[in-house]
Amino acid sequence: MLNYLIRRVLWMIPMLIGISLISFFIMHLAPGDITSTEAAFDPKSSEESRQKLRALYHLDKPIIVQYGLWLERIAHLDFGHSFASHQKPVFWQETDKDGNTTAGMIQEALPVTLTMNVIGLLLTLTLAVPLGVIAAKRYGHWQDRSITLFNFIGFSIPGFWLSLLLMYWLGVIHPWFPISGLHSLNYAQLDTWQRFQDLLMHLFLPVVIPAITGLAGVTMFVKNGMLDVLSQDFVTTARAKGLSDCTVTYRHALRNALLPLITLVGLSLPGLIGGSVIAETIFAIPGMGKLFYEAVMMRDFPVVMGILTIGSALTLMGNLLADLAYAWADPRLRRGVMPQR
Amino acid sequence: MTHRVIISLLCGALVACGADSGRQNNQTFAHITPAQTGGTLISAMPSDPSSMIGMVAGESASLAIGAYLFNSLLKYNQNLDLAGELAESWQVAADNKTITFKLKSGLQWADGKPLTSEDVLFTWQLVTDEKTHSPYASDYQLVTKAEAPDAQTFIVHYSQPFAPALESWASLQVLPKHKLAGQDIHTTSFAQKPLGSHYYQLKEWRHGEYLKLEKNPKSVLGPANIDTLVERIIPDPAAQFLELMADNIDSMNMDPITYARIIPSRPALQAQLNQYKELGNSYTYLGFNLKRKPFDDVRIRKAINYAIDKQEIIDGVYLGLGIAIASPYKPGTRWSNPQLTPYPFDPAKAKQLLAEAGYQDSDGDGYVERDGKTLSFEMLTNLGNKQREKTAVIIQRRLKEVGIDTRIRTLEWASLLTNFIKPGDFDAVVMGWGLGLDPDQYNIWHSSQQNPGQFNFIGYHNPVVDQLLEQGRLEFDPEKRMDIYHEFAKVLYEDSPLVYLSAGYGLTAIHKRVQGIMNPVPPAGVGYDSQKWFIPEPYRRPQIQAE
Repeated sequence: MLNYLIRRVLWMIPMLIGISLISFFIMHLAPGDITSTEAAFDPKSSEESRQKLRALYHLDKPIIVQYGLWLERIAHLDFGHSFASHQKPVFWQETDKDGNTTAGMIQEALPVTLTMNVIGLLLTLTLAVPLGVIAAKRYGHWQDRSITLFNFIGFSIPGFWLSLLLMYWLGVIHPWFPISGLHSLNYAQLDTWQRFQDLLMHLFLPVVIPAITGLAGVTMFVKNGMLDVLSQDFVTTARAKGLSDCTVTYRHALRNALLPLITLVGLSLPGLIGGSVIAETIFAIPGMGKLFYEAVMMRDFPVVMGILTIGSALTLMGNLLADLAYAWADPRLRRGVMPQR
Repeated sequence: MTHRVIISLLCGALVACGADSGRQNNQTFAHITPAQTGGTLISAMPSDPSSMIGMVAGESASLAIGAYLFNSLLKYNQNLDLAGELAESWQVAADNKTITFKLKSGLQWADGKPLTSEDVLFTWQLVTDEKTHSPYASDYQLVTKAEAPDAQTFIVHYSQPFAPALESWASLQVLPKHKLAGQDIHTTSFAQKPLGSHYYQLKEWRHGEYLKLEKNPKSVLGPANIDTLVERIIPDPAAQFLELMADNIDSMNMDPITYARIIPSRPALQAQLNQYKELGNSYTYLGFNLKRKPFDDVRIRKAINYAIDKQEIIDGVYLGLGIAIASPYKPGTRWSNPQLTPYPFDPAKAKQLLAEAGYQDSDGDGYVERDGKTLSFEMLTNLGNKQREKTAVIIQRRLKEVGIDTRIRTLEWASLLTNFIKPGDFDAVVMGWGLGLDPDQYNIWHSSQQNPGQFNFIGYHNPVVDQLLEQGRLEFDPEKRMDIYHEFAKVLYEDSPLVYLSAGYGLTAIHKRVQGIMNPVPPAGVGYDSQKWFIPEPYRRPQIQAE
């Protein structure tokens, strides 16, 4: 097991280099760079200034040299500075000689996105598992049909449409929740408890809406998993042994039905880190999705590469954790099937 | 983004059928005089500024916030004539090569330190420094020598007269030497924690969320009325509008649908908001690649100009909120030649001109051809600008009616610029230009400005225009300059190197609690004297007052 773990962790290093190499080259395949953004198409700006800027950021060098320079920096865990956003540090805060700190862009955006998405995922799972189980248990009955109908609606409603609808109902007509942003304007004046409440109120709509739209998929996943398991021999055996319905469903069947869900959660990790462009734009939340989108549009290469690298590393770790969780949940893997994978 | 269209439609539908906002009440906002001080004004802007040093950041959000914090030597007055801001007076030497600025006395920064000509000199040195990467350095690099002989005097020397210089000194935001000396302008924390001299100073900046500006009691132009300005960063226009409806923001820039359809149909919103319309500082055009056939033939260019119904575009795309123009200058300003009128919509004349150029529909397929080749071209425009895309579609239909076959291609901005505009690989483009306040358009029209990355990418070459542009740069007398640029606009008009399509209006909604706004809107824009705006005490937001 330990050997396997070490091998997996070591294997992540060439994987990360490979991912970064591909990302770097694909990113540079897109036409243009930071000097060809809309602001640069101003007759008052000159071509000489743009050339100077290109030289400053080494954009005038061959791509392979640029990649080498990037790799050299990354080896020291230096993710560089943004081209676009006044050379803010990409990853972590920096302190200048006067003692003023400038926060890193990912450092600012990642906690926001992670908090939102983790709460959203927990909410989705908390609702989806019971709903999926009910739908499977009451297969063909009105409960199943209602849940299926709900799933259809969840699948087909575009997230941004639902967002605007709820923003209008719950923010304008009945002003219960803030419409956009993450903090109230008087946030600095609030005490700790009020700040917590303020944050929760602001997070309500951006968390609940993706959770509702994501609920449909997971519910169907759990339902189908349960249906599969419920028709298997060991469930019939368990029932034949006279175990109660509750024990059969929740102790024997559900545990097996949830195994694939671990993979699903593992696979959803990049989404948890990457954030959602549309939700973050609509709700004006300074998260990773918006940061990544803006960086791509601005051709802000250090930020794009920073997000991709950190995202890839976290994804690989997520996959590893998912595998470990799988091993924990499935005794067969613990008993030695896993090292042969 | 495509969802933007759906969002605007949805927003319209929501608003059209929804109930009145819970927060809107029937409060009427009586005009209260005299002006009062205090209160908070909350506005929305679509993107976070990257820095407070506009000259280095270069993007509009930074320049806009910087304009609240820093002063320039000169400014444009409400009629868009140059006036002094930090400068009390300025004098152009007889040979037009030296400008001497006399600063006002008693100027100071928000921290109480004196603001002197040393600061102006320092700012100029900073912008032109080899290590500084400012996109706007070129105008200031023409200064051969700058000096500050005493605290009140700033002198710049040019090797030859450069009339747009005055405009450049109205754009340069003066920075404090005592805060920035010895710092790297690109990494300094000053960009996040600035110190200015203007009406406001930055109090709090929550990145990606909002900026809070507080009144600067030491403002060199006297204090503003409103105590606090908040700029909330809300990228989505639909979310901005919902915030406006919920009374969480006081002002926003609108699109034509919101201005012309949604607000007028809602009495509650009308009772709450004032709407302002001002001619914007940009125009949309159909530009031809003049190095390609058949656009090297003026008859073809004119035929296309006559074949396009500009009013139809203004009505269809901008809901009537725009005007047709005949020169690249803002109508109503002295630089706009009043004798020129936009090319009328005249398909018969267009067909006649096409026939004169040898194009006729000989095979009856509806398209004109010459030497067996159909008159056909591709129009490029940038993705995400729905107004330009719709404009291209309307042009396509009108050109088809006179027998010209066109294809539309929308491209992501950087791709359009890098792959097509820079190498000159295009037939025609639907794009826009800003209407500068200085009439000099050398960079766009002079034949020397055609290299990749320069702005005369349509390849316009006209010795008369070249000469006029060169002359205009040397002439400081506004009256003589006006004659030069009127003539320049006339030559362009006759040559029709591009089709001026429309100049749109800037549309702003401001809550009625904000009073003291100039009405009618002066040529310099609705925000021209926003320091005089005030919010009477009974109309202020309770939660903000409590702060």
